[in-house]
Order: sequence, then structure tokens, then C-alpha cells
Amino acid sequence: MLKTPNSVSKSKFWVMITFVIILHSVLAFRFFQLQILDFEFYNKRADSNRIRAISLPASRGLILDRHGEIIVDNYPTYILYGIGAEIRDKQKNYKVISHSIGIDTSILKKNYKNYYRNRFLPTRLVKDLTIEQLSRLEEAKNDLSGIMYKQFPERIYNPKIRASHVLGYLKEMDQEMIQKMVSNGDYEYGDLVGWSGLEQEYETTLKGDKGVEYFQVDAYGREAGKLEGEENILSSPGNNISTTLDVSLQQLIEKEFRGKKGVGIVSDPRTGGILAYVSAPDYKPDLFTGLISNSDWQEVISDPNRPLLNRVANGTYPPASIFKMVVALALLEKNLISPQTEVFCTGSYEFYDRTFGCWSEFGHGKIDLEQAIVQSCDVFFYQAIQKIKLNELAEFAKQFGFGYETNIDLPAEMKGRMPDRAFMNRLYGRWGWSQGAMLNISIGQGEILVTPLQMAAYTNILATKGNTHPLYMVQAKDDFIVKPIVRNQSWNLIQKYMRKVISDPKGTGRRSDPKIPGLKISGKTGTAENPHGEPHAWFIAFGEKDGAMISVVILIENGGHGGEVAAPMARKIFKQYFEDDKTKLVNS
Amino acid sequence: MLLNFQKKIIESPLSILIGVIALLSVGLLTLFSITAIQEQEPPNAFSKQLIFLVPAVLLMIAIMVTSKRFIHKYIFILYGIIIIAVILPFFGPKIAGTYRWIYMGLPFGLQPSEIAKWVIVITLARYLSDHNLQMRNFGSNIVPFTIALIPTFIVLRQPDLGTAFVMMAPVIPMLFWVGARPYHLFLIVAPLLSILAAFNVVVFSVWAAIMAIVIFLSRPQLWHGVGIYFSNIFLGLIFPFLWNSLRPFQQNRVLTLFNPESDPLGAGYQIIQSKTALGSGGLFGKGWGQGTQTHLKFLPVQESDFIVSVIGEELGFIALLAMVVLFLWLIVKIIRLAINASDRFAGLILIGIATIFMTHVFVNCAMTVGMIPVKGLPLPFVSYGGSFLVSSFMMIGLVLNFGREEMD
Repeated sequence: MLKTPNSVSKSKFWVMITFVIILHSVLAFRFFQLQILDFEFYNKRADSNRIRAISLPASRGLILDRHGEIIVDNYPTYILYGIGAEIRDKQKNYKVISHSIGIDTSILKKNYKNYYRNRFLPTRLVKDLTIEQLSRLEEAKNDLSGIMYKQFPERIYNPKIRASHVLGYLKEMDQEMIQKMVSNGDYEYGDLVGWSGLEQEYETTLKGDKGVEYFQVDAYGREAGKLEGEENILSSPGNNISTTLDVSLQQLIEKEFRGKKGVGIVSDPRTGGILAYVSAPDYKPDLFTGLISNSDWQEVISDPNRPLLNRVANGTYPPASIFKMVVALALLEKNLISPQTEVFCTGSYEFYDRTFGCWSEFGHGKIDLEQAIVQSCDVFFYQAIQKIKLNELAEFAKQFGFGYETNIDLPAEMKGRMPDRAFMNRLYGRWGWSQGAMLNISIGQGEILVTPLQMAAYTNILATKGNTHPLYMVQAKDDFIVKPIVRNQSWNLIQKYMRKVISDPKGTGRRSDPKIPGLKISGKTGTAENPHGEPHAWFIAFGEKDGAMISVVILIENGGHGGEVAAPMARKIFKQYFEDDKTKLVNS
Repeated sequence: MLLNFQKKIIESPLSILIGVIALLSVGLLTLFSITAIQEQEPPNAFSKQLIFLVPAVLLMIAIMVTSKRFIHKYIFILYGIIIIAVILPFFGPKIAGTYRWIYMGLPFGLQPSEIAKWVIVITLARYLSDHNLQMRNFGSNIVPFTIALIPTFIVLRQPDLGTAFVMMAPVIPMLFWVGARPYHLFLIVAPLLSILAAFNVVVFSVWAAIMAIVIFLSRPQLWHGVGIYFSNIFLGLIFPFLWNSLRPFQQNRVLTLFNPESDPLGAGYQIIQSKTALGSGGLFGKGWGQGTQTHLKFLPVQESDFIVSVIGEELGFIALLAMVVLFLWLIVKIIRLAINASDRFAGLILIGIATIFMTHVFVNCAMTVGMIPVKGLPLPFVSYGGSFLVSSFMMIGLVLNFGREEMD
């Protein structure tokens, strides 16, 4: 058989050999390319395939009061997670969990959907589990698959006070927030971030550094063996912040404001430190921790008293008579009036075709500057104000912080409004307003608006003749404020008058004096007419005793006369502070 | 008789067995790494491969000592039987969407298409050596192609694109061996390449240029050359439109018809993990049994289709280079036996088998490194797979038999 000879030319052989060599060379080169040239790239990719890093949360720094008492603390809670790829029967697992911890399966389902990222990553099902709930879950462990829990530090608040507007709250990072945050890549989905108040302002100090735990996973995302070569990093807790708050004062004022709307601020004029910061009504500081139920939330945001509004820094009000010190100082400085200037008050004042009333309809009779402040006579100021131009007054008032932010170390504050010519022209048109507007401004009504926080800064200026620091909560500001240009004799006069507001039997602020020997209180009342009903009651004061000094700002919305409702509240503050202080000194 | 066997064995080109044993060792070592580290209980890929080695070696020896005349005489009958054998799976159960295996009460299925690969080669060899064909004529290529096409179409319907491709691959070198004009072979392959190249503008332009040069250099009659050139170009231009006029699900249906193992997404994942395994191995590899891609199961079908990635990851570029050199040596050795054969029938069989091995090696490795789409072709002697291991050893038996100088 096999008759045909195999007569094949050598060239065919070489064509084939060449072809075979080329194909093998292509393979060898490609292996070289992948394994030698691109080694780094693929090695990294292989590592990122198998190495998982989970971040370990850092506990946030605490917030302390001026005596070291803890205001905001952490406590451990547990978060329950489910791993999609490992849960065998979701409905069954949900039922078991729901039975053990008493949470409806619909919540579990909803959370799973909300927090889901992928099948292999833990997805949050419930947070804020207690140890008891956890131990019941442990008992049911055999019926669960792909369920795990992790400890998580949660905020807890001093039960004595709320101070919710100062402390602020934490918010959980969602996708949208992360995208907005360009600068800091340290945050991830589900992290808590300070979202208002001190929590926001001192976020970088409080938050601490997260740790990292590495482990090895297989293709299904299951943990597989130990990982060598990667060191775990422990989380380091955030730093505590010591605030200037005084828990007992804060507690007192919050109690006083129960059922009222308004503001109470206590600060130290010599340092600018805030001892109490009350905006009423407020909300429970733990409102935002844990799962806010929809009804709770609705209740808070639909409350007509607007508890979420921070009235201290974001409420704007006419300053009313507490503005009169600015007017008096401006006129004194420009020598437009003197302490001897007298005016006759009949209870009202005719200005062209308009009548401007004094708060006392019977009139104050013949009255000088001292009594005009002590008795808060409006007619005196109606007349005196006509000697000064609006712009001059506005410029002068701005030295006291009117129209400017106080730059306190808290986020989001309003700057109020100090009207000048340009402003009035813009608002009413060049010919749309007259000198009459000035008369209103002279008694702190009309277009002028202030925040209570600005009034605290203003009170501190009056208390120290301008030698005060900007307001602060945590970090003291070394630099003094820019001192208003006021002669010492004018300061002395104004302080004398303010002292008389309290000490004079006719003084509108006499109800604020707790009559503690050695305690000298000076102040001014205000009654701000407003379109929302009863006038707002103002009272600003500073008290000094044995070198210790505090200033108080009280505003009671729709409270009536400052001297009648706000001043008595200030008395309790002075009483507690200066009596307490003594006992504290003895004790320590 | 026994003496005759002994003589046959001794006179066979036994040195190729060195290459085979070396490759087999690499394969078994790798399979052992996979199964031992991942604590797979026997029967696992390693133990099964060892068991399959017994019939494989026995059949190799049997084929090695079988009379060449006997093979020559009965090959057409065997061809008929194997055609029936590749049809038989269609009457059996559908496994993973395909009809590839025959179950005869054994704990494993047999894959007749593996045997068909070399049966086609011998059939072609007989046809091409028996007839004194005028290979200069284009028409002489038609019958050989038909011989290969019949089983190929059946296998394509199973569907098994990889095996079908391997079945067709030997036709061209074998025709070339017996003197077919390369131009004619080019004309046969051209339309398919035109269609494939049509999906990329650059590739298509290069292909059009190559086609023009080849046709020009082959100096056909003007109208003939121009006609062929432009019908290919036309085919390439029209095909993407035809393809795009199909709905996506229809396209997928066509794609999965040809390639049922992998949905496009899954294939992409497999290639990425395979390249990652290889690349992360570097020069010396992560060490035997230390492959993270392998043992953490990022690498799919690691014991068969992607075994090269396991070797590359654990033993590094050095090992793969050695493996490529071994294959090169083996294939070149077979081609040298072919040129030295005194008989055309023997020479053609050796060329055909060399082509089958070459195709398996290239397609498997090229797929592993992401040069071509995923086609489930195993690597000879290295990959796990019973039928293919047996078939490979039978082919080595044929090489040993037909590589022998003596005539019987």
C-alpha cells in the first residue's frame, strides 16, 4: 500500500516551521508583556481582588462644659448587618430578627434597600441595638445566615440640659453628601458627620481618625484566611472640646424658658466666653440620632413655634430701647447733647403731621439724658435724634457690631440690619421716606434689626468700655474687638445711667437686682413693638462682683414689657451665678 | 509477533515522549495544587486525570503497534462510524446547553468529537494520498474540504465552536502539503476573514490592503481578480449592516449558538481574572500552591480552559516560557517526522496532528491572555479532561506509528 511517495519540497517544511515559530513567539511575547512588563498593574489588581479593608469607626471627642462636666458623651450601640450573598432566605431571616428584637420586618426590608451597595458588603438592617436585643439574637443564631453585628459609638447627651442649638447634631453621610464633599475623602457612606452647631464647627477636632482592618476574601466575598503583609490600623478617638458653657446656668435658663419663646444668653464680658446659650423652644438633642420616626419628625417641623430655629443667632428682632445707649453715645460724642440737655415729655411728640408716642402715655415731664435712659423715655430721643444724620448714626452703631456678624465659633449666623441712607433709599425710593423714620430708629424700632447674639456682644462692649473680646464657645480669641471711638467720660456717663436703670427706684430694670451685697448690676430694658402681637421683652445687663463679671441678654418673644418679664428672669441668673460662685469657691 | 511489537516500539521516535511526559507533569502538578490546596476530596480533577491516564496510555500503545495498512484500509469505515458517533449525543441529555457527551453507563461521558479530530485527519490523508490529484486546479480542494465539513457542521450544531474550528484547521496545511496553490487556499479563507475584519475599520483597511497585494501577486486574470477582490469587500461592508439589523436578542442568540459557555459579561470577567492571575505571577510566580487568584477562586474553570493562568500565577513567566518551548519542540519534531516520512499518507497524518496540537496550544493560550474571545479549548496534556487526554495520547500513538521509518 501507501504507494504515493512523500515528495515534499524543503521550502514547504520551512514555511510551516516558520509559521509554528511565529505563533509560539506571539504567545511567549504576550506572556512576557503580561507577566514582566505589566506585572505591577496586575499584581495590584490581584491584591485588590482579595484584600478587603473595612474601616473601624473612631469614637468622637466629648463636649465638656467649663467645669469639665460632660455635656455630650458616647455610648456603644450595635448595628445589625446582613450580607446579601450569604443570606440564604431573606424573609425567614427577617422574621427571626423581627421576632428577637421586636422591629417590624418592613423596617428591615426598607433599610436593606436603602443601604444596599453590593451583595458582598454588609448592609445595615437596624441600628441602636441594646445588649439585651443582641443576646436574644445570639440565641436565635442558628436560624440566621449572613447576619452580623458591629459595635458603633453613638452620641448621648447630658440629661440636665438640652442646648440643642449650640451642640448641633450629627448626620449620616449619604451618597449625595459624599459627592458634594470634594475636599475630604475620609468620609464614607453611613459615617456620622457634624451637621450643625459645635458638632459642625469642630468636626475636624471631634471626629478622630478611622482605623482600617484588612482581611482576605475569596471570589464570593467570603473571608478566607489570614492576610499577611498588611498591618491593621487602630482607630484613634477624636479630641474632646472644652466649651465655655456652664451646665447649671444653662439648666436654669432652659427651665425658665419652659413654655416660652425667646432667648437667654450669658457671657463673660472680659473674655467673650458664652456661659449659657438658650433658644426656646428647642428640641431634644438626640432627636437626630437613631431612627427618627416620620411622625416625630413631622411633629418637629410642623410645630408653629419653630423649635428648629436657632433664635440666638438666626432670629432677628428690633432692639427697641436697648439701642438707646448707642444713640446717646453718638450724640454725646458729637457734642450734640450734654448730660444737661433737657426735654419735656408729655407722653407723645408731634412731628409734622405725625404723632409719636412715648411708652408712658402720661409722659415723663421735664427729663434729662440720665432719666431718659433710666425711665426709657422715648420723647427725649425723638427730639435728640433730629440733631444727627442717619448715616452718622449708622456708622457709629456699626462700631458696636450692629449689622455685622459676631464671628462666634458656631456656624450660620445672621447679621441683622443697621439702616443707612443708601439702604432706606433702596427700600423706599429716594423720596419715599422722611425724617420720621429716624424717630423710629432712635428708639430701636423700624428698619433696624438685630440678633440676640449681637446684643450679647454689644452688652459686653458696654460693660467693658470696649475692652472685650469677640464671643466664643470653645476657642478663646486673643485679639480684642476694635474699640468704638468713645471718650472715657461718655463711657462713664453711660455706665452710670445703666447702673441707675437697676438701682433707681424709677429704673425700668430694678426687678433684675437679686440684692446680693457687693453685686453691682447695670442694664437696660427694651420693649419691641412688632406685628406678631404682644411686644417682645428685652433685657440686657451686666453684673460685677469681686472682680467676677457676667453679662446677660434676655429676649422673650411676645412677652410684654422688658422690665416686667425679662428683668426678673435675669435676677435669677445673677442670683444663681454670684451666690453659686461663692459656694464653688469655698468648695474648691 | 511479540518480537514484532517490541521492534515496532523500539523503532518509534520515542523521544517525543520526553516532551509529552514533561507537559503531563506540569499539568498534573498544577492539578494537584488546585485540588490539594482547595481541599477537594477525590474523585477530583487530579485523581480523575490520573485514572484517565491508564486507558490513554494503553490506547496509545495499541495505536502505535497497529498496522499502518490496517489503518489505511479501514479509515473510511471509521470515518462513517465517527460521523454517527458525533450525531449520537443529540439523542442524549443536554448538558450545559450542549449535546457533546455520550453516556453509556460509565460514571463519565465520552466526547466522540475529540476522536473525530484525528479521524478526519487520517481520512483526509488517505484521500489526498490515494488520488493523484491535480492540486493546481481549484476544484481539487472541494472534496477534501467536504470531508472535514460534514463532521464539522454536526459538531457546530452540538454546539461546539472550538472543536469545530480544530476539525477544520488541518485541512489547509494538509492541502498545502500536497501542493494546493496557496492562492486557492487564500480564496477559500478570504470571505470568512472579510466578515470578521468588518467590525473594525482599521483591521478591515489592513485586511483590504493585504487582500489586494495577495491577489495582485498571484496574477489571476484581470476580471477574475477584480471580481474576487470586490466581492470580498462587498461582503465585509454589507455584513455589519446585516448584523446590526438584527435585534440584540437575536444577536445574542447567534452568539450563544456559537459560544454557549459564556454570556458576554461572564466572558469579560473570565478574561480579566485570567490576565490578572497571569500578570500577578511575574517572573517566578507566587509559588506552587500560593496563587491567590486560583485558590480564592477568582479564576474560573482553572483546571481546564484556564490552567495556563494557574501555571503563570504560581510558577511565573519562566515556567510558561519553558512550556511554550516544550510545545514548540514537540510540534516542530512532528513536522520534521512528516518531512522525513517516505510515504505521503504518513506525512499528511503527521502534518494534520501537528496542526491539531498547534491549534489547541495557540487558541488556549491566546484566549488565556485575552487575545481572542473565550473558546473552550483545552491545552494538550496539561488541561484536565478525560476524552481529550485519551484522544491526545491516541494522536501521539499515531505520531509514534507513522513517524517510524520502516514500512509494513
